Amino acid sequence: MDTLLSGQLLFAALVSGSLYALIALGLNLVYGTLRLLNIAHGDLVMIGAYTAFWLFTLLSIPPVVSFFVAAALCALLGWAVYEGMFRRLLANPGLAKRVEANSLILFYGISVILQNLTALAFTSSSRGYQYLDTVITWQGVSMTGNRLLSLGVAGGICIAALLFLRFHLFGWELRAVIQRREAAQIVGVNLNRVQPIIICAGFAIAGIAGVLVSMTEQITPFMGFPFTIIAFVVIIIGGLGNIGAGVLAGLSLGLIETYGVALTSPGYRSILIYGLFVAVLLIRPEGIFTKAVRS
Amino acid sequence: MKALDIIFGLALAIGGLLVPLSGDAYLMGLVFQLAMWIALAQSWSMLSSTTGYLSLGHAVFYGIGAYVCVLLTGVVPFGVALAAGAAASAVFAGLIGLPVLRVQGPYFVILTYGLAELVRNVVMRIESALGSFGRMIFMVPSFEVLVWCMVALGILATLGAAAVRHSALGAGLAAIRENEVAAETVGVPVARLKLLAFVASATIPGAVGGLALLRTGYFEPAQAFDPVISFTIVTMALVGGTETVRGPVLGALGFTLLSEALWSSLPQLYMIVLGLTLIAFILFVPRGLSGLADRALGRG
Repeated sequence: MDTLLSGQLLFAALVSGSLYALIALGLNLVYGTLRLLNIAHGDLVMIGAYTAFWLFTLLSIPPVVSFFVAAALCALLGWAVYEGMFRRLLANPGLAKRVEANSLILFYGISVILQNLTALAFTSSSRGYQYLDTVITWQGVSMTGNRLLSLGVAGGICIAALLFLRFHLFGWELRAVIQRREAAQIVGVNLNRVQPIIICAGFAIAGIAGVLVSMTEQITPFMGFPFTIIAFVVIIIGGLGNIGAGVLAGLSLGLIETYGVALTSPGYRSILIYGLFVAVLLIRPEGIFTKAVRS
Repeated sequence: MKALDIIFGLALAIGGLLVPLSGDAYLMGLVFQLAMWIALAQSWSMLSSTTGYLSLGHAVFYGIGAYVCVLLTGVVPFGVALAAGAAASAVFAGLIGLPVLRVQGPYFVILTYGLAELVRNVVMRIESALGSFGRMIFMVPSFEVLVWCMVALGILATLGAAAVRHSALGAGLAAIRENEVAAETVGVPVARLKLLAFVASATIPGAVGGLALLRTGYFEPAQAFDPVISFTIVTMALVGGTETVRGPVLGALGFTLLSEALWSSLPQLYMIVLGLTLIAFILFVPRGLSGLADRALGRG
Protein backbone atom coordinates (compact mmCIF):
# COMPACT_ATOMS: atom_id res chain seq x y z
CA MET A 1 0.00 0.00 0.00
CA ASP A 2 2.86 2.34 0.83
CA THR A 3 4.37 1.97 -2.59
CA LEU A 4 1.01 2.74 -4.17
CA LEU A 5 0.80 6.10 -2.43
CA SER A 6 4.44 7.01 -2.98
CA GLY A 7 5.47 9.94 -5.12
CA GLN A 8 7.84 7.57 -6.89
CA LEU A 9 5.04 5.68 -8.58
CA LEU A 10 3.19 8.87 -9.45
CA PHE A 11 6.33 10.24 -11.08
CA ALA A 12 6.77 7.07 -13.12
CA ALA A 13 3.12 7.24 -14.18
CA LEU A 14 3.43 10.87 -15.24
CA VAL A 15 6.60 10.24 -17.24
CA SER A 16 5.07 7.39 -19.24
CA GLY A 17 1.67 9.10 -19.39
CA SER A 18 3.08 12.28 -20.89
CA LEU A 19 5.09 10.26 -23.41
CA TYR A 20 1.96 8.31 -24.43
CA ALA A 21 0.02 11.55 -24.74
CA LEU A 22 2.71 13.00 -26.99
CA ILE A 23 2.93 9.97 -29.27
CA ALA A 24 -0.84 9.76 -29.52
CA LEU A 25 -1.08 13.50 -30.25
CA GLY A 26 0.79 13.06 -33.53
CA LEU A 27 -1.33 10.08 -34.57
CA ASN A 28 -4.52 11.85 -33.65
CA LEU A 29 -3.67 15.02 -35.60
CA VAL A 30 -3.04 12.99 -38.74
CA TYR A 31 -6.20 10.94 -38.29
CA GLY A 32 -8.33 13.95 -37.39
CA THR A 33 -7.43 16.02 -40.42
CA LEU A 34 -6.65 13.44 -43.09
CA ARG A 35 -8.59 10.38 -41.90
CA LEU A 36 -5.42 8.35 -42.38
CA LEU A 37 -4.75 5.58 -39.86
CA ASN A 38 -1.00 5.66 -39.50
CA ILE A 39 0.04 2.21 -38.38
CA ALA A 40 3.67 3.25 -39.05
CA HIS A 41 3.49 5.92 -36.35
CA GLY A 42 5.61 3.91 -33.92
CA ASP A 43 8.25 3.42 -36.60
CA LEU A 44 8.66 7.19 -36.76
CA VAL A 45 9.34 7.05 -33.03
CA MET A 46 11.98 4.45 -33.88
CA ILE A 47 13.53 6.74 -36.50
CA GLY A 48 13.66 9.60 -34.01
CA ALA A 49 15.34 7.29 -31.50
CA TYR A 50 17.97 6.14 -34.01
CA THR A 51 18.65 9.74 -35.03
CA ALA A 52 19.34 10.68 -31.41
CA PHE A 53 21.44 7.56 -30.84
CA TRP A 54 23.74 8.10 -33.83
CA LEU A 55 24.10 11.84 -33.30
CA PHE A 56 25.03 11.22 -29.67
CA THR A 57 27.38 8.27 -30.22
CA LEU A 58 29.14 9.46 -33.35
CA LEU A 59 29.14 13.24 -33.01
CA SER A 60 28.46 13.70 -29.26
CA ILE A 61 25.47 15.86 -30.12
CA PRO A 62 23.13 15.84 -27.10
CA PRO A 63 19.45 14.89 -27.45
CA VAL A 64 18.47 18.50 -26.72
CA VAL A 65 19.78 19.31 -30.20
CA SER A 66 18.63 16.02 -31.74
CA PHE A 67 15.01 17.01 -31.09
CA PHE A 68 15.22 19.42 -33.97
CA VAL A 69 17.08 17.07 -36.29
CA ALA A 70 14.68 14.19 -35.60
CA ALA A 71 11.66 16.46 -36.01
CA ALA A 72 12.97 17.79 -39.33
CA LEU A 73 13.81 14.32 -40.62
CA CYS A 74 10.39 12.89 -39.78
CA ALA A 75 8.62 15.97 -41.13
CA LEU A 76 10.48 15.51 -44.40
CA LEU A 77 9.38 11.89 -44.49
CA GLY A 78 5.82 13.00 -43.83
CA TRP A 79 5.97 15.43 -46.71
CA ALA A 80 7.37 12.75 -49.04
CA VAL A 81 4.69 10.26 -48.03
CA TYR A 82 1.95 12.84 -48.53
CA GLU A 83 3.17 14.00 -51.92
CA GLY A 84 4.09 10.56 -53.18
CA MET A 85 1.15 8.58 -51.93
CA PHE A 86 -1.72 10.18 -50.12
CA ARG A 87 -2.34 13.08 -52.45
CA ARG A 88 -3.14 10.39 -55.02
CA LEU A 89 -5.19 8.33 -52.57
CA LEU A 90 -7.25 11.29 -51.37
CA ALA A 91 -7.80 12.57 -54.92
CA ASN A 92 -9.03 9.23 -56.30
CA PRO A 93 -12.70 8.85 -55.37
CA GLY A 94 -12.60 5.06 -55.69
CA LEU A 95 -9.75 4.76 -53.21
CA ALA A 96 -10.85 7.63 -50.97
CA LYS A 97 -14.23 5.97 -50.41
CA ARG A 98 -12.47 3.51 -48.12
CA VAL A 99 -9.62 5.81 -47.21
CA GLU A 100 -9.26 4.54 -43.64
CA ALA A 101 -8.87 0.89 -44.49
CA ASN A 102 -6.67 1.67 -47.49
CA SER A 103 -4.45 4.03 -45.51
CA LEU A 104 -4.05 1.42 -42.82
CA ILE A 105 -2.76 -1.08 -45.37
CA LEU A 106 -0.53 1.51 -47.08
CA PHE A 107 1.00 2.53 -43.78
CA TYR A 108 1.53 -1.11 -42.96
CA GLY A 109 3.64 -1.29 -46.11
CA ILE A 110 5.57 1.80 -45.03
CA SER A 111 6.05 0.35 -41.56
CA VAL A 112 7.49 -2.90 -42.89
CA ILE A 113 9.82 -0.98 -45.20
CA LEU A 114 11.07 1.36 -42.45
CA GLN A 115 11.69 -1.46 -39.98
CA ASN A 116 13.56 -3.64 -42.40
CA LEU A 117 15.59 -0.84 -43.95
CA THR A 118 16.74 0.11 -40.46
CA ALA A 119 17.51 -3.52 -39.66
CA LEU A 120 19.49 -3.85 -42.90
CA ALA A 121 21.44 -0.68 -42.22
CA PHE A 122 22.12 -0.99 -38.50
CA THR A 123 21.45 -4.71 -37.70
CA SER A 124 18.70 -5.81 -35.33
CA SER A 125 20.75 -5.63 -32.15
CA SER A 126 19.53 -3.32 -29.42
CA ARG A 127 21.45 -0.17 -28.65
CA GLY A 128 21.49 2.50 -26.00
CA TYR A 129 23.47 5.40 -24.60
CA GLN A 130 23.80 7.19 -21.29
CA TYR A 131 22.62 10.73 -20.98
CA LEU A 132 21.64 12.70 -17.87
CA ASP A 133 21.26 9.52 -15.87
CA THR A 134 22.38 10.81 -12.50
CA VAL A 135 19.73 10.41 -9.83
CA ILE A 136 18.22 13.50 -8.28
CA THR A 137 16.27 13.02 -5.06
CA TRP A 138 13.60 15.49 -4.14
CA GLN A 139 11.03 15.04 -1.36
CA GLY A 140 11.95 11.37 -1.20
CA VAL A 141 11.31 10.83 -4.90
CA SER A 142 14.29 9.64 -6.92
CA MET A 143 14.32 10.96 -10.45
CA THR A 144 16.85 10.81 -13.24
CA GLY A 145 17.59 13.93 -15.28
CA ASN A 146 16.56 12.27 -18.55
CA ARG A 147 13.15 11.31 -17.18
CA LEU A 148 12.58 14.84 -15.91
CA LEU A 149 13.56 16.18 -19.32
CA SER A 150 11.22 13.70 -20.99
CA LEU A 151 8.33 14.76 -18.76
CA GLY A 152 9.06 18.44 -19.39
CA VAL A 153 9.36 18.17 -23.18
CA ALA A 154 6.39 15.84 -23.67
CA GLY A 155 4.18 17.83 -21.31
CA GLY A 156 5.32 21.11 -22.81
CA ILE A 157 4.57 20.09 -26.40
CA CYS A 158 1.13 18.71 -25.48
CA ILE A 159 0.18 21.90 -23.65
CA ALA A 160 1.56 24.08 -26.44
CA ALA A 161 -0.41 22.12 -29.03
CA LEU A 162 -3.63 22.47 -27.06
CA LEU A 163 -3.10 26.23 -26.61
CA PHE A 164 -2.32 26.56 -30.31
CA LEU A 165 -5.54 24.78 -31.26
CA ARG A 166 -7.48 27.02 -28.90
CA PHE A 167 -6.03 30.42 -29.71
CA HIS A 168 -4.23 30.51 -33.05
CA LEU A 169 -6.13 31.09 -36.28
CA PHE A 170 -4.52 28.04 -37.92
CA GLY A 171 -5.52 26.03 -34.87
CA TRP A 172 -9.12 27.07 -35.48
CA GLU A 173 -8.87 26.03 -39.12
CA LEU A 174 -7.55 22.71 -37.97
CA ARG A 175 -10.38 22.16 -35.54
CA ALA A 176 -12.84 23.08 -38.24
CA VAL A 177 -11.35 20.46 -40.57
CA ILE A 178 -11.41 17.84 -37.82
CA GLN A 179 -15.03 18.54 -36.91
CA ARG A 180 -16.63 19.07 -40.31
CA ARG A 181 -14.39 18.55 -43.28
CA GLU A 182 -16.77 19.65 -46.01
CA ALA A 183 -18.12 22.61 -44.06
CA ALA A 184 -14.58 23.80 -43.34
CA GLN A 185 -13.86 23.90 -47.06
CA ILE A 186 -17.00 25.93 -47.69
CA VAL A 187 -15.99 28.61 -45.20
CA GLY A 188 -12.61 28.94 -46.87
CA VAL A 189 -10.20 26.52 -45.23
CA ASN A 190 -7.66 25.38 -47.80
CA LEU A 191 -7.33 21.62 -47.31
CA ASN A 192 -4.38 21.42 -49.67
CA ARG A 193 -2.49 23.69 -47.30
CA VAL A 194 -3.68 22.26 -44.00
CA GLN A 195 -3.15 18.59 -44.84
CA PRO A 196 0.57 18.56 -45.69
CA ILE A 197 1.35 20.83 -42.73
CA ILE A 198 -0.44 18.50 -40.35
CA ILE A 199 1.09 15.31 -41.67
CA CYS A 200 4.54 16.92 -41.27
CA ALA A 201 3.68 18.11 -37.76
CA GLY A 202 2.28 14.73 -36.74
CA PHE A 203 5.37 12.92 -38.03
CA ALA A 204 7.72 15.47 -36.40
CA ILE A 205 6.05 14.98 -33.01
CA ALA A 206 6.61 11.23 -33.31
CA GLY A 207 10.29 11.88 -34.09
CA ILE A 208 10.66 14.04 -30.99
CA ALA A 209 8.99 11.34 -28.90
CA GLY A 210 11.55 8.92 -30.30
CA VAL A 211 14.42 11.07 -29.02
CA LEU A 212 12.77 11.03 -25.57
CA VAL A 213 12.42 7.24 -25.65
CA SER A 214 16.06 6.76 -26.68
CA MET A 215 17.29 8.60 -23.59
CA THR A 216 15.83 6.04 -21.21
CA GLU A 217 15.35 2.81 -23.14
CA GLN A 218 17.20 0.41 -25.41
CA ILE A 219 16.31 0.86 -29.06
CA THR A 220 15.89 -1.68 -31.88
CA PRO A 221 14.51 -1.45 -35.43
CA PHE A 222 11.34 -3.22 -34.28
CA MET A 223 10.68 -1.11 -31.18
CA GLY A 224 8.02 0.96 -32.92
CA PHE A 225 5.06 -1.36 -33.03
CA PRO A 226 4.27 -1.36 -29.29
CA PHE A 227 4.22 2.44 -29.43
CA THR A 228 1.80 2.36 -32.35
CA ILE A 229 -0.49 0.17 -30.30
CA ILE A 230 -0.22 2.39 -27.24
CA ALA A 231 -1.04 5.41 -29.39
CA PHE A 232 -4.06 3.62 -30.83
CA VAL A 233 -5.25 2.64 -27.35
CA VAL A 234 -4.93 6.26 -26.26
CA ILE A 235 -6.79 7.80 -29.17
CA ILE A 236 -9.50 5.14 -29.07
CA ILE A 237 -10.07 5.95 -25.40
CA GLY A 238 -10.05 9.67 -26.13
CA GLY A 239 -12.02 9.32 -29.35
CA LEU A 240 -10.47 9.33 -32.83
CA GLY A 241 -9.72 12.88 -33.92
CA ASN A 242 -10.45 14.35 -30.50
CA ILE A 243 -7.17 16.09 -29.67
CA GLY A 244 -7.73 17.39 -26.13
CA ALA A 245 -9.36 14.21 -24.90
CA GLY A 246 -6.50 12.26 -26.45
CA VAL A 247 -3.94 14.06 -24.26
CA LEU A 248 -6.05 13.35 -21.20
CA ALA A 249 -6.38 9.72 -22.26
CA GLY A 250 -2.59 9.43 -22.67
CA LEU A 251 -2.03 10.56 -19.10
CA SER A 252 -4.78 8.24 -17.90
CA LEU A 253 -3.21 5.29 -19.68
CA GLY A 254 0.13 6.06 -18.01
CA LEU A 255 -1.60 6.04 -14.63
CA ILE A 256 -3.64 2.91 -15.34
CA GLU A 257 -0.62 1.06 -16.65
CA THR A 258 1.77 2.02 -13.87
CA TYR A 259 -0.68 1.39 -11.03
CA GLY A 260 -2.13 -1.69 -12.71
CA VAL A 261 1.32 -3.24 -13.00
CA ALA A 262 2.19 -2.23 -9.44
CA LEU A 263 -0.93 -3.99 -8.19
CA THR A 264 -0.37 -7.18 -10.23
CA SER A 265 2.92 -7.98 -11.94
CA PRO A 266 4.81 -6.73 -15.01
CA GLY A 267 3.66 -9.85 -16.88
CA TYR A 268 0.16 -8.44 -17.01
CA ARG A 269 1.15 -5.18 -18.71
CA SER A 270 0.26 -6.19 -22.27
CA ILE A 271 -2.93 -7.96 -21.22
CA LEU A 272 -3.99 -4.81 -19.40
CA ILE A 273 -3.35 -2.56 -22.39
CA TYR A 274 -4.92 -4.81 -25.01
CA GLY A 275 -7.80 -5.67 -22.71
CA LEU A 276 -8.54 -1.98 -22.25
CA PHE A 277 -8.27 -1.43 -25.99
CA VAL A 278 -10.69 -4.23 -26.87
CA ALA A 279 -13.11 -3.31 -24.09
CA VAL A 280 -13.29 0.33 -25.15
CA LEU A 281 -13.78 -0.56 -28.82
CA LEU A 282 -16.53 -3.03 -28.02
CA ILE A 283 -18.38 -0.86 -25.57
CA ARG A 284 -17.84 2.69 -26.78
CA PRO A 285 -16.00 2.90 -30.11
CA GLU A 286 -16.57 6.66 -30.20
CA GLY A 287 -14.34 7.03 -27.13
CA ILE A 288 -14.91 7.37 -23.42
CA PHE A 289 -14.21 11.07 -23.10
CA THR A 290 -16.33 12.16 -26.04
CA LYS A 291 -19.89 13.30 -25.80
CA ALA A 292 -22.09 11.19 -28.03
CA VAL A 293 -22.50 13.73 -30.78
CA ARG A 294 -21.45 12.39 -34.14
CA SER A 295 -22.47 13.34 -37.61
CA MET B 1 -11.81 -17.38 -68.38
CA LYS B 2 -13.94 -19.54 -66.18
CA ALA B 3 -12.74 -22.70 -67.90
CA LEU B 4 -9.17 -21.45 -67.64
CA ASP B 5 -9.59 -20.82 -63.92
CA ILE B 6 -10.86 -24.34 -63.37
CA ILE B 7 -8.05 -25.90 -65.40
CA PHE B 8 -5.48 -23.80 -63.53
CA GLY B 9 -7.00 -24.72 -60.18
CA LEU B 10 -7.18 -28.42 -61.02
CA ALA B 11 -3.57 -28.42 -62.23
CA LEU B 12 -2.41 -26.80 -58.98
CA ALA B 13 -4.45 -29.20 -56.86
CA ILE B 14 -3.33 -32.35 -58.68
CA GLY B 15 0.26 -31.13 -58.77
CA GLY B 16 0.14 -30.48 -55.02
CA LEU B 17 -1.29 -33.90 -54.27
CA LEU B 18 1.29 -35.67 -56.48
CA VAL B 19 4.37 -33.93 -55.06
CA PRO B 20 4.64 -36.03 -51.86
CA LEU B 21 4.97 -39.14 -54.07
CA SER B 22 8.24 -37.73 -55.42
CA GLY B 23 9.72 -37.73 -51.91
CA ASP B 24 11.60 -34.51 -52.66
CA ALA B 25 11.79 -32.71 -49.30
CA TYR B 26 12.37 -29.25 -50.76
CA LEU B 27 9.46 -29.50 -53.17
CA MET B 28 7.20 -30.81 -50.42
CA GLY B 29 8.14 -27.89 -48.18
CA LEU B 30 7.30 -25.48 -50.97
CA VAL B 31 3.92 -27.11 -51.64
CA PHE B 32 3.18 -27.13 -47.91
CA GLN B 33 3.82 -23.40 -47.63
CA LEU B 34 1.88 -22.60 -50.78
CA ALA B 35 -1.15 -24.67 -49.75
CA MET B 36 -1.03 -23.12 -46.29
CA TRP B 37 -1.14 -19.55 -47.56
CA ILE B 38 -3.84 -20.38 -50.11
CA ALA B 39 -5.96 -21.90 -47.36
CA LEU B 40 -5.42 -18.90 -45.08
CA ALA B 41 -5.97 -16.22 -47.73
CA GLN B 42 -9.08 -17.94 -49.10
CA SER B 43 -10.52 -18.28 -45.61
CA TRP B 44 -9.84 -14.62 -44.95
CA SER B 45 -11.55 -13.67 -48.21
CA MET B 46 -14.77 -15.44 -47.15
CA LEU B 47 -15.42 -12.63 -44.68
CA SER B 48 -13.20 -9.76 -45.65
CA SER B 49 -13.32 -9.70 -49.45
CA THR B 50 -17.04 -10.31 -49.54
CA THR B 51 -18.16 -7.86 -46.84
CA GLY B 52 -15.29 -5.37 -46.75
CA TYR B 53 -14.83 -6.06 -43.02
CA LEU B 54 -11.03 -6.30 -43.15
CA SER B 55 -9.79 -8.64 -40.45
CA LEU B 56 -6.28 -7.87 -39.28
CA GLY B 57 -6.35 -10.59 -36.67
CA HIS B 58 -6.63 -13.91 -38.44
CA ALA B 59 -3.52 -15.12 -36.64
CA VAL B 60 -5.77 -15.62 -33.62
CA PHE B 61 -7.63 -18.49 -35.33
CA TYR B 62 -4.39 -20.01 -36.55
CA GLY B 63 -2.96 -19.75 -33.04
CA ILE B 64 -6.00 -21.20 -31.29
CA GLY B 65 -5.97 -24.14 -33.68
CA ALA B 66 -2.29 -24.70 -33.01
CA TYR B 67 -2.76 -24.45 -29.25
CA VAL B 68 -5.67 -26.88 -29.09
CA CYS B 69 -3.78 -29.23 -31.36
CA VAL B 70 -0.64 -29.22 -29.22
CA LEU B 71 -2.68 -29.89 -26.08
CA LEU B 72 -4.41 -32.84 -27.74
CA THR B 73 -1.66 -34.58 -29.73
CA GLY B 74 -0.63 -37.77 -28.06
CA VAL B 75 -4.00 -37.89 -26.31
CA VAL B 76 -6.16 -38.40 -29.40
CA PRO B 77 -5.30 -39.37 -33.02
CA PHE B 78 -3.87 -36.45 -34.94
CA GLY B 79 -6.86 -36.14 -37.28
CA VAL B 80 -9.13 -35.64 -34.29
CA ALA B 81 -6.71 -33.08 -32.84
CA LEU B 82 -6.80 -31.12 -36.11
CA ALA B 83 -10.58 -31.22 -36.24
CA ALA B 84 -10.69 -30.06 -32.64
CA GLY B 85 -8.39 -27.16 -33.52
CA ALA B 86 -10.69 -26.11 -36.35
CA ALA B 87 -13.74 -26.52 -34.13
CA ALA B 88 -12.17 -24.45 -31.36
CA SER B 89 -11.46 -21.60 -33.78
CA ALA B 90 -15.01 -21.76 -35.10
CA VAL B 91 -16.47 -21.73 -31.60
CA PHE B 92 -14.26 -18.81 -30.61
CA ALA B 93 -15.36 -16.86 -33.70
CA GLY B 94 -18.98 -17.69 -32.92
CA LEU B 95 -18.62 -16.45 -29.35
CA ILE B 96 -16.93 -13.15 -30.14
CA GLY B 97 -18.62 -12.64 -33.53
CA LEU B 98 -21.76 -10.76 -32.58
CA PRO B 99 -20.18 -7.99 -30.49
CA VAL B 100 -17.10 -7.72 -32.73
CA LEU B 101 -19.04 -7.48 -35.98
CA ARG B 102 -21.12 -4.63 -34.59
CA VAL B 103 -17.98 -2.51 -34.83
CA GLN B 104 -17.48 -1.13 -38.33
CA GLY B 105 -14.92 0.32 -40.71
CA PRO B 106 -11.46 1.19 -39.39
CA TYR B 107 -12.57 0.37 -35.85
CA PHE B 108 -13.20 -3.21 -36.94
CA VAL B 109 -9.74 -3.45 -38.52
CA ILE B 110 -7.89 -2.37 -35.39
CA LEU B 111 -10.26 -4.24 -33.08
CA THR B 112 -9.46 -7.55 -34.78
CA TYR B 113 -5.79 -6.75 -34.46
CA GLY B 114 -6.14 -5.87 -30.77
CA LEU B 115 -8.17 -8.98 -30.05
CA ALA B 116 -5.54 -11.22 -31.61
CA GLU B 117 -2.83 -9.57 -29.53
CA LEU B 118 -4.95 -9.88 -26.39
CA VAL B 119 -5.43 -13.61 -26.92
CA ARG B 120 -1.74 -14.02 -27.72
CA ASN B 121 -0.74 -12.33 -24.47
CA VAL B 122 -3.28 -14.28 -22.44
CA VAL B 123 -2.00 -17.58 -23.85
CA MET B 124 1.59 -16.50 -23.19
CA ARG B 125 0.60 -15.68 -19.62
CA ILE B 126 -1.15 -19.02 -19.12
CA GLU B 127 1.80 -20.91 -20.53
CA SER B 128 4.33 -19.14 -18.34
CA ALA B 129 2.06 -19.60 -15.29
CA LEU B 130 2.08 -23.33 -16.09
CA GLY B 131 5.85 -23.11 -16.19
CA SER B 132 5.99 -24.15 -19.84
CA PHE B 133 8.28 -22.27 -22.17
CA GLY B 134 7.48 -23.82 -25.49
CA ARG B 135 6.18 -27.36 -25.95
CA MET B 136 7.71 -30.10 -28.05
CA ILE B 137 5.52 -32.53 -29.93
CA PHE B 138 6.48 -36.11 -30.58
CA MET B 139 4.75 -38.84 -32.58
CA VAL B 140 4.12 -36.51 -35.49
CA PRO B 141 2.75 -38.16 -38.66
CA SER B 142 5.10 -38.27 -41.64
CA PHE B 143 5.69 -35.11 -43.63
CA GLU B 144 3.99 -36.62 -46.71
CA VAL B 145 0.76 -36.96 -44.74
CA LEU B 146 1.01 -33.40 -43.51
CA VAL B 147 1.51 -32.09 -47.05
CA TRP B 148 -1.53 -34.02 -48.28
CA CYS B 149 -3.62 -32.65 -45.44
CA MET B 150 -2.48 -29.09 -46.14
CA VAL B 151 -3.19 -29.37 -49.87
CA ALA B 152 -6.61 -30.75 -48.98
CA LEU B 153 -7.22 -27.73 -46.76
CA GLY B 154 -6.14 -25.39 -49.56
CA ILE B 155 -8.58 -27.06 -51.96
CA LEU B 156 -11.33 -27.05 -49.35
CA ALA B 157 -10.82 -23.36 -48.61
CA THR B 158 -10.88 -22.48 -52.31
CA LEU B 159 -14.05 -24.49 -52.92
CA GLY B 160 -15.53 -22.95 -49.79
CA ALA B 161 -14.71 -19.43 -50.93
CA ALA B 162 -16.25 -20.15 -54.34
CA ALA B 163 -19.35 -21.59 -52.69
CA VAL B 164 -19.73 -18.56 -50.43
CA ARG B 165 -19.43 -16.16 -53.36
CA HIS B 166 -21.88 -17.96 -55.61
CA SER B 167 -24.60 -18.58 -53.04
CA ALA B 168 -27.40 -16.57 -51.50
CA LEU B 169 -25.03 -15.99 -48.59
CA GLY B 170 -22.56 -14.34 -50.97
CA ALA B 171 -25.24 -12.11 -52.44
CA GLY B 172 -26.22 -11.02 -48.95
CA LEU B 173 -22.59 -10.33 -48.01
CA ALA B 174 -22.09 -8.27 -51.16
CA ALA B 175 -25.15 -6.24 -50.20
CA ILE B 176 -23.60 -5.64 -46.78
CA ARG B 177 -20.39 -4.45 -48.43
CA GLU B 178 -22.20 -2.00 -50.69
CA ASN B 179 -24.55 -0.56 -48.09
CA GLU B 180 -25.23 -2.28 -44.81
CA VAL B 181 -28.12 -0.08 -43.74
CA ALA B 182 -29.89 -0.48 -47.07
CA ALA B 183 -29.32 -4.24 -46.95
CA GLU B 184 -30.89 -4.45 -43.53
CA THR B 185 -33.83 -2.32 -44.66
CA VAL B 186 -34.69 -4.62 -47.55
CA GLY B 187 -34.63 -7.61 -45.26
CA VAL B 188 -31.11 -9.08 -45.49
CA PRO B 189 -30.43 -10.72 -42.10
CA VAL B 190 -27.24 -8.69 -41.75
CA ALA B 191 -26.08 -9.80 -38.31
CA ARG B 192 -26.64 -13.50 -39.00
CA LEU B 193 -24.89 -13.45 -42.39
CA LYS B 194 -21.87 -11.61 -41.04
CA LEU B 195 -21.59 -14.07 -38.17
CA LEU B 196 -21.86 -17.00 -40.55
CA ALA B 197 -19.12 -15.60 -42.78
CA PHE B 198 -16.94 -14.88 -39.74
CA VAL B 199 -17.24 -18.43 -38.43
CA ALA B 200 -16.63 -19.84 -41.91
CA SER B 201 -13.51 -17.75 -42.33
CA ALA B 202 -12.18 -18.83 -38.90
CA THR B 203 -12.61 -22.60 -39.20
CA ILE B 204 -10.00 -23.66 -41.74
CA PRO B 205 -7.26 -21.42 -40.25
CA GLY B 206 -7.69 -23.43 -37.03
CA ALA B 207 -6.78 -26.66 -38.83
CA VAL B 208 -4.01 -24.90 -40.77
CA GLY B 209 -2.48 -23.71 -37.50
CA GLY B 210 -2.56 -27.24 -36.16
CA LEU B 211 -0.86 -28.68 -39.25
CA ALA B 212 1.80 -25.96 -39.35
CA LEU B 213 2.54 -26.72 -35.73
CA LEU B 214 2.83 -30.46 -36.34
CA ARG B 215 5.34 -29.70 -39.06
CA THR B 216 7.65 -27.66 -36.83
CA GLY B 217 7.05 -29.96 -33.87
CA TYR B 218 7.31 -27.06 -31.48
CA PHE B 219 4.72 -24.74 -29.97
CA GLU B 220 5.51 -21.30 -28.67
CA PRO B 221 2.61 -18.86 -28.20
CA ALA B 222 4.52 -15.80 -29.41
CA GLN B 223 5.11 -17.58 -32.73
CA ALA B 224 1.77 -19.33 -33.12
CA PHE B 225 -0.08 -16.02 -32.71
CA ASP B 226 2.50 -13.93 -34.58
CA PRO B 227 0.78 -10.81 -36.03
CA VAL B 228 3.01 -11.15 -39.11
CA ILE B 229 0.76 -14.07 -40.08
CA SER B 230 -2.29 -11.79 -40.10
CA PHE B 231 -0.48 -9.14 -42.10
CA THR B 232 0.84 -11.63 -44.63
CA ILE B 233 -2.66 -13.01 -45.21
CA VAL B 234 -4.04 -9.53 -45.84
CA THR B 235 -1.15 -8.64 -48.15
CA MET B 236 -1.55 -11.81 -50.21
CA ALA B 237 -5.30 -11.44 -50.53
CA LEU B 238 -5.16 -7.75 -51.45
CA VAL B 239 -2.31 -8.11 -53.93
CA GLY B 240 -4.02 -11.13 -55.45
CA GLY B 241 -7.27 -9.22 -55.78
CA THR B 242 -10.45 -9.30 -53.72
CA GLU B 243 -12.98 -9.54 -56.51
CA THR B 244 -12.46 -13.15 -57.55
CA VAL B 245 -11.83 -16.57 -56.04
CA ARG B 246 -8.66 -16.72 -58.10
CA GLY B 247 -7.20 -13.63 -56.38
CA PRO B 248 -5.99 -15.20 -53.12
CA VAL B 249 -4.47 -18.14 -55.03
CA LEU B 250 -2.45 -15.79 -57.24
CA GLY B 251 -1.41 -13.67 -54.25
CA ALA B 252 -0.30 -16.70 -52.25
CA LEU B 253 1.54 -18.11 -55.26
CA GLY B 254 3.38 -14.85 -55.92
CA PHE B 255 4.51 -14.24 -52.36
CA THR B 256 5.40 -17.84 -51.59
CA LEU B 257 7.71 -17.96 -54.61
CA LEU B 258 9.14 -14.55 -53.73
CA SER B 259 9.72 -15.67 -50.16
CA GLU B 260 11.40 -18.84 -51.45
CA ALA B 261 13.78 -16.71 -53.52
CA LEU B 262 14.61 -14.12 -50.86
CA TRP B 263 13.63 -15.19 -47.37
CA SER B 264 16.45 -17.58 -46.54
CA SER B 265 19.22 -15.32 -47.82
CA LEU B 266 17.82 -11.82 -47.33
CA PRO B 267 14.78 -11.87 -45.05
CA GLN B 268 14.81 -8.11 -44.61
CA LEU B 269 14.88 -7.52 -48.35
CA TYR B 270 11.91 -9.88 -48.70
CA MET B 271 9.94 -7.83 -46.20
CA ILE B 272 10.88 -4.59 -47.99
CA VAL B 273 9.74 -6.00 -51.34
CA LEU B 274 6.52 -7.15 -49.63
CA GLY B 275 5.89 -3.63 -48.37
CA LEU B 276 6.65 -2.00 -51.71
CA THR B 277 4.44 -4.46 -53.63
CA LEU B 278 1.57 -3.88 -51.25
CA ILE B 279 1.79 -0.10 -51.64
CA ALA B 280 2.11 -0.30 -55.42
CA PHE B 281 -0.92 -2.60 -55.75
CA ILE B 282 -3.18 -0.54 -53.49
CA LEU B 283 -2.35 2.64 -55.40
CA PHE B 284 -2.02 1.45 -58.98
CA VAL B 285 -3.62 -1.99 -59.29
CA PRO B 286 -6.66 -1.99 -57.01
CA ARG B 287 -8.04 -5.10 -58.72
CA GLY B 288 -4.88 -7.02 -57.97
CA LEU B 289 -3.08 -9.77 -59.84
CA SER B 290 -6.43 -11.25 -60.70
CA GLY B 291 -7.41 -8.05 -62.51
CA LEU B 292 -4.06 -8.07 -64.32
CA ALA B 293 -4.68 -11.64 -65.44
CA ASP B 294 -8.08 -10.63 -66.81
CA ARG B 295 -6.54 -7.80 -68.74
CA ALA B 296 -3.70 -9.95 -70.07
CA LEU B 297 -6.22 -12.46 -71.37
CA GLY B 298 -8.21 -9.70 -73.01
CA ARG B 299 -11.12 -9.48 -70.63
CA GLY B 300 -10.54 -6.14 -68.93
